[in-house]
Amino acid sequence: MNLLIFALIILFGLSSYYFGRSEARKLITTNKIKLNALPSYYGYYLGIWCGLPALIILSLWSLFEPTIIKMVILSNFSNVESKDLFYEQTLSFFNGNFTGELTNNIKIASEKYSSLNAIAYNSKIALLASAVIFSTSYAYKKVKSNNRARDDVELILKGLLFVSSLVAILTTIGIIVSLLFESIKFFSTINLFDFIFGTSWSPQRAFVRDASTITPEEYLELKDAFGSVPLFAGTAFIALIAMCVAVPIGLFSGIYLAEYASTKVRKYSKPIIEILAGIPTVVYGFFAALTVGPFFRTVGESLGLTVSSESALAAGLIMGVMIIPYISSLSDDVINSVPQSLRDGSYAVGATKSETIKKVIIPAALPGIIGSILLAVSRAIGETMIVVMAAGLAANLTINPLESTTTITTQIVMILVGDQEFDSPKTQAAFALGLTLFIATLFLNYIALRVVKKYREKYD
Amino acid sequence: MELNNSKIKIKSKNLNVYYGNKQALHNINLEINNKEVTALIGPSGCGKSTFIRCINRMNDTIDICKVDGSIEIDGKEVNDKNVDVVTLREKIGMVFQKPNPFPKSIYDNIAYGPTIHGIGEKKDEMDKIVETSLKKAALWDEVKDRLNEPGTGLSGGQQQRLCIARALSVNPEVILMDEPCSSLDPIATAKIEELIDDLKKSYTIVIVTHSMAQAVRVSQKTGFFHLGKIIEVDTTEKIFKNPANKMTQDYITGRFG
Repeated sequence: MNLLIFALIILFGLSSYYFGRSEARKLITTNKIKLNALPSYYGYYLGIWCGLPALIILSLWSLFEPTIIKMVILSNFSNVESKDLFYEQTLSFFNGNFTGELTNNIKIASEKYSSLNAIAYNSKIALLASAVIFSTSYAYKKVKSNNRARDDVELILKGLLFVSSLVAILTTIGIIVSLLFESIKFFSTINLFDFIFGTSWSPQRAFVRDASTITPEEYLELKDAFGSVPLFAGTAFIALIAMCVAVPIGLFSGIYLAEYASTKVRKYSKPIIEILAGIPTVVYGFFAALTVGPFFRTVGESLGLTVSSESALAAGLIMGVMIIPYISSLSDDVINSVPQSLRDGSYAVGATKSETIKKVIIPAALPGIIGSILLAVSRAIGETMIVVMAAGLAANLTINPLESTTTITTQIVMILVGDQEFDSPKTQAAFALGLTLFIATLFLNYIALRVVKKYREKYD
Repeated sequence: MELNNSKIKIKSKNLNVYYGNKQALHNINLEINNKEVTALIGPSGCGKSTFIRCINRMNDTIDICKVDGSIEIDGKEVNDKNVDVVTLREKIGMVFQKPNPFPKSIYDNIAYGPTIHGIGEKKDEMDKIVETSLKKAALWDEVKDRLNEPGTGLSGGQQQRLCIARALSVNPEVILMDEPCSSLDPIATAKIEELIDDLKKSYTIVIVTHSMAQAVRVSQKTGFFHLGKIIEVDTTEKIFKNPANKMTQDYITGRFG
């Protein structure tokens, strides 16, 4: 029903756009008035005034209607045991899919619900219609009196843009706050010190245990179940392997694309390399787990090494391949933005192409290249799917790349897959891990952006 | 001016240059004398810069550019396949329209060229090269106390003199200047012109300029280019006082261009 109303409002808005435009044109031709704005601005003005207030009312109404109806109904039944359950039962009886013991109260409440619903519906329609009529006629009067429609439309657009950015910002803040609150709950059970410096990770031990009922004896036992060191070490280790692959290959291919490749080669090969970034990570993941992992295992065995079939090496290697385009593409852009005059200056004193690249272009582009590498690092740290599939789940504290290891993101997945109790420290640990990961990548991104910004100032 | 007493340093014969399908230079025949300043004037896009970029083969770096005909330096063909551009460019320095110091220290800007050619490997030798180059470019007194500061931090005129010093650091015989003063103010321009006057005692200089007054002030010989052709070459005095060609006359008196 709301959908139909929504469509109607949009339709009214559109038609008042055309109406406003033609009215403005009429003003020009018949009344010979020089308008303050182009006719289409009057169209936009009328259209926005017709649609926007009604849409805002509609969305606010839909947001609050269910809560208000619920409150009104429940206020009549103060003697019911579980109010939420009672209300659910009423709703399902009203919708005709009620099963279970039917009480008289439910029948009464349901009747009340249907009458309230009808009232709400009628008053909604009346409110919306009057809003449309009132705001449209207000705007129409303004158009007739030749208002500064251009300025007004600009103002409304500015408001719309502001609201959009506000939504993005509020979402971010919301995520951070929820991370923060759950983490605080976690750290009220588990000591922050034990979490940061503990070297053993086995959150399964805390399974089905209410955080509020943990006794001091139990805590001693749980204390070393949430040591995050193996996770951070594993994350850093796999990211390191990935960077060892991605930095040289990415940088060299970036240099090739920017300095050596002909325009034609560049035009085709750059998008092809960028396809690597578009492959879903889950595809990389099973490639690493099913092809590369077993391959390493076979090679390792023939060399007499014990290679676990899920290894940090396989995961890191494939992650490195995935990251190549981030580095190659960004460093290609950065190298291209080094002014041609610097190359000319270098060639003019007799430097060869590779000398110019090594001694002039790379140093000049270095801040930008470092920025691209740091962005790639935070990508590597946040990557989940490849590690889940290829690096294993066991939280080993190891520096042997042939053994299986695990990362922060993998453990978050492990903790939150399946049914969870939200008051168990095990579940809350996921939020604590998420928060630390968030802080780490935020820090890296901040440094990367600072470095890139510094670079920008150079050639102004 | 006693043109005949000077030895010819650079000589171009039937030089044609093409950018893709467009011909930029048509049959250029030009002789440039040793230890003298030759000015090239003409309206924008007439091929002056293209011509001087042929002398040190900078046009090699442009994919679509094709050069045919001949340019000789000291009687040796520049466009020959066997010529090593690295040694050629060591012999022929170039200064560009916009100052283009490397984003390195003043010292490293000068040391760059010698390092590439394996000169001045010892620290004191390099110090000497840096000092003499900066002195020749009349910049030493202004920067001697801050050689480790970035070259990009200097003023426009100082940057351009730094670029001249960079070109001098590898001991070239010829210096090509592509509108070296076009982005400088009159005071910096006067300094560079003074410097050019000084440098011509030991170097052959070819300068592209849009300023007639500059050509008159600094050069001994002037060539007038128009639409990729050379219209008239003579002593600067003759070109500006009594040009043989009507078009030259019109250009220098400001009737077109």
